[in-house]
Amino acid sequence: MSSISIAGDSSGSITLAAPSVAGTNTATLPAATGTVMVSGNMPAFSAYQSGTQTMPTATFTKVIISTKEFDTNNYYDATTNYRFTPLVAGYYQVTGAAFFNGASINFVSIYKNGSELRRGTETTVSYTSTVSALFYMNGSTDYVELYAYAGVGSSIASTQSTTYFQAVMVRN
Amino acid sequence: MSLYEKIKTIYPNLEDKDFMTVIILQNDSNGAGDYIKAWNHPTLVKPTQEQLDAIK
Repeated sequence: MSSISIAGDSSGSITLAAPSVAGTNTATLPAATGTVMVSGNMPAFSAYQSGTQTMPTATFTKVIISTKEFDTNNYYDATTNYRFTPLVAGYYQVTGAAFFNGASINFVSIYKNGSELRRGTETTVSYTSTVSALFYMNGSTDYVELYAYAGVGSSIASTQSTTYFQAVMVRN
Repeated sequence: MSLYEKIKTIYPNLEDKDFMTVIILQNDSNGAGDYIKAWNHPTLVKPTQEQLDAIK
């Protein structure tokens, strides 16, 4: 090893803390350049629908996911637009699901920046459709939303276990 | 009458899959109601607002 260089801002401090227990701990850095990710800059959220939502026939409808289970960086809007807009750029695994009360062709889709980008499993009876996909988010303007489609007008059940929206950063 | 029903009234031969592929109706759950997000049908022209409004 030739040297360790730590560069910081003009104020504040950088602390490398070691555990206060006996033993040897090793952190190995890869031979690559990148940003070290810690829990504080790896956003994650999970929310679910808390009220039954009417679904019009054959119309992609934004699912009103309004109850948060957790939202580590407060990037999920659960009151107005029901969208996740992470302010940390990187790759995110986004997952959504909905339970449809009517028997028809039903599915959920993930929209990115207002357009459908990934469509989930289709169900033709009164069951849950799920979708999960990987997205790159630019950390400023990109956002994702959950939409649902019911071939025949029905409703989406308000159950925490079946109608939900989640995302987690997996790498920068 | 819903937007879907109005379009089906104008074009009764449209199939279910058309509304999942070439014709996208959307509702953003913001109180503005249903609207035509995209109309890419290869032969049928997008109905005008006047045509839709005329159907009660």
